[in-house]
Amino acid sequence: MAIAIGIDNVTRTFGTVKALERVGIKIGAGEFFTLLGSSGSGKSTLLKLIGGFDRPTTGRVLFDGQDVTDMPANRRPSNTVFQDLALFPHMTVGENVAYGLKVKGVAASERKKRVDSTLALVDLAGFAERNVNVLSGGQRQRVALARALVMEPGILLLDEPLTGLDERLRQQMRDEFGRLHQRTGSTFVLVTHNQDEALSLSDRMAIMHKGRIEQVGRPADFFANPANDFVARFVGMERVLKPERLERSGGDTVAIIAGERLVLPGARDVGEMGLLAVRPDRISLANGHAAPGSSLRATVAGRQFRGRFFDFYLELGDGQKLDAEIPVEFADAWPEPGNPVRLEFAGGALVPVPASGTAPNRDT
Amino acid sequence: MKSPGLLLALPTALIVLLLGFVPLIVILVWSFWTWDPATYWIRPEFSLAGYAAILEAGRWSVIVGSLGKAFLTAAICVVIGYPAAMAVHFLASRRTALLLMALFTIPFFTSYMIRAFSWRLVLGRNGLINGWLMDLGIVDQPLDWLLFSNFAVNVGLVASYLPFVIFPLILSMQRVEPSLLAASQDLGASFWRTFRSVLLPLTQAGIFAGFLFVFVMAAGSATEVQMLGGAAASMISVMINDVMRVVNFPLAFAISTVVLIILFGLIFIGNRLFKLTRLFEGFTW
Repeated sequence: MAIAIGIDNVTRTFGTVKALERVGIKIGAGEFFTLLGSSGSGKSTLLKLIGGFDRPTTGRVLFDGQDVTDMPANRRPSNTVFQDLALFPHMTVGENVAYGLKVKGVAASERKKRVDSTLALVDLAGFAERNVNVLSGGQRQRVALARALVMEPGILLLDEPLTGLDERLRQQMRDEFGRLHQRTGSTFVLVTHNQDEALSLSDRMAIMHKGRIEQVGRPADFFANPANDFVARFVGMERVLKPERLERSGGDTVAIIAGERLVLPGARDVGEMGLLAVRPDRISLANGHAAPGSSLRATVAGRQFRGRFFDFYLELGDGQKLDAEIPVEFADAWPEPGNPVRLEFAGGALVPVPASGTAPNRDT
Repeated sequence: MKSPGLLLALPTALIVLLLGFVPLIVILVWSFWTWDPATYWIRPEFSLAGYAAILEAGRWSVIVGSLGKAFLTAAICVVIGYPAAMAVHFLASRRTALLLMALFTIPFFTSYMIRAFSWRLVLGRNGLINGWLMDLGIVDQPLDWLLFSNFAVNVGLVASYLPFVIFPLILSMQRVEPSLLAASQDLGASFWRTFRSVLLPLTQAGIFAGFLFVFVMAAGSATEVQMLGGAAASMISVMINDVMRVVNFPLAFAISTVVLIILFGLIFIGNRLFKLTRLFEGFTW
């Protein structure tokens, strides 16, 4: 049975360092929830608190509304796939997977049945007798998953489980997580620093930074309404422009930037001092009849071939830099580096964001 | 020479050969020579008299007794040393760990004679322990068996060689990833279950290495038995010393050969069972 998790105003300090500061999240039963952040953001500390390997300095951890803050890891209905997998090197694949059941006192025949079916679930049928130390990275990953899943946990915690795998395996295991989440119906909590993983797998995710939650929401929210420029950068909008000011006009936002007016149709109101996150895939070369207020003057500073597209490095009149991703077939129309160019901004190319630090911690 | 590595290893190999292997060969060869009681000297004539003499005058029982004492000492050292190593590795901070390890080592700065002798002051009729026991009214008469007994010998041996079991144990515990213990706990195991099913099996090389160190040194010890043992107590090295008073090289070397074979056998079996060599892979101190 999937279990809902409540993180209630949790702070965890190590000496003078605040690893987590007044964090509050509610994770629904059966949800695939991702904690996304760079190293030192507190995401692993939070996962340890959920798993029961550490205790909050203040605040509570709730499973289905019940306070489990003082419950040790071995009594919690959660299981973990560790970053280094932590497979027992002195046991076979089967013994590794059976370990938790054995501890629990499940009878040998029942144990074998469940181990075999779980190994089949992770595509390792017939691997029970193998030596775990000589398996490939992907196989070891699957053993670690099976060892946790065989316990039929209400909560499965995944601590950066894809780190150290090559790109192809990473892709493959990522799909596997999605499939297993569907199959088991458990609550999955994934910790990662990889935004692709977070975006493709999560029902909802939280971006963490310096022990605080910057934003919680569905993956698409982070692009449409980033809580601040940190979040915008973290989900891949690397360039954030600082306009002279933002104005409201009807339902639209108007940016005064580099001496020109740019209308952002339907963009939200983030106040006069807001910033603009750039989506490089929505910028193109303005042709002769661009609508007024939808383009800006810039200079081409350089370009780089990226396979399916070119990255154009651009500079606005006031010296601010931005990038544009231009499909290969349109790149020829662009002027050589050093020349002026007129940029057209499609809807949503510039996303208004409040500046960092002005966004309160909030739960959605 | 084809590889420079071989050339570079040559001096080391020569030293090992000269200091280690050659004396062993001498011991082995001379143990089969003939001892002439008339001249107190040896003749290069093949003889099994040395080995036959092991079976005389209770020498065999001294060997067995010594190995027994060594076994008991090593076993006690492992039992005491394991929690001590766990305390250093798991509980102590880096600084305290260093301090604890220093405390384990400091007794070795004094002479082993003084260390053994100091136990007389603790265990003797008028010693510390008897003093306490009488003060507390637990006994009326001082306990005699505390000193000049097998008990005293074992206490002295354990105290002398305990650090030799602690260090290999710490070394083996350092090689156990903390996440393995966390994983065991995560799967529902209690502390004792994790200890039994994960920590012990993964540190068996350290246990065996520590056991072996203590066993070998205790089997070769003399001081503790001489200072703390009863009048009749003997040890292999004491016996060899006695034999060498009459320069009976073949007998002394025959005893040595037998003991060496037993020890090498133990190492060989241990290495097979516990992969002892693995303990020293990636040695990082």
